Amino acid sequence: MRNRLKLLRVERGWTQEQLGQALGVSRQAVNALETEKHDPSLDLAYRIAVLFARPVEDIFENPHA
Amino acid sequence: MLAVGKNGTAAGKRYVIRTMGFMSGYVAINVLAIFGAFDDIGSPVAAWGLALAVSAPVVGQIWATLSFMNESDEFVRALIAKQFIIASGLAMAIASVWGFGESYAAAPHIPAWLIYPLFWACFGAVAPFIRTSR
Repeated sequence: MRNRLKLLRVERGWTQEQLGQALGVSRQAVNALETEKHDPSLDLAYRIAVLFARPVEDIFENPHA
Repeated sequence: MLAVGKNGTAAGKRYVIRTMGFMSGYVAINVLAIFGAFDDIGSPVAAWGLALAVSAPVVGQIWATLSFMNESDEFVRALIAKQFIIASGLAMAIASVWGFGESYAAAPHIPAWLIYPLFWACFGAVAPFIRTSR
């Protein structure tokens, strides 16, 4: 799923490891999200949205829109 | 087998420790068997006890793998589950072909416990090609 996760993470100066710790997932999971190798669950997508204080659709492109 | 858990997470470290523990037991029992420690076993009950003792670490290692999936985040869980399912299917397919080869084509007999190392060989073969959770 196309997303702006890497851009948002780099804007804050975070590493994948740091973002993973903030979200409670592994660095591999963050990398998989950024490289579109994993579509997040609704729960994880909302956790990411809360962390960056943005609506989910600002971060993840709706593939059905 | 150990490479599965080497992702730097707490769940991965637990998996490596559990797997090394179970495999140490497996190797120890088999080394004792190779050197004849169980050659004098006569009763069927004791023989089955030995079979269960050798199998127990394998069951434990399967538990360690499933626990690793349970304790990991959603991406690692999905990825390992996908690799596990495809490796299981491949191992069952190979075992079935060989089994019918024994039944109908006089293929040499292979012990059924080899399905477990076969599964991990299949896992190692397919894992590099399965890198997404989709």
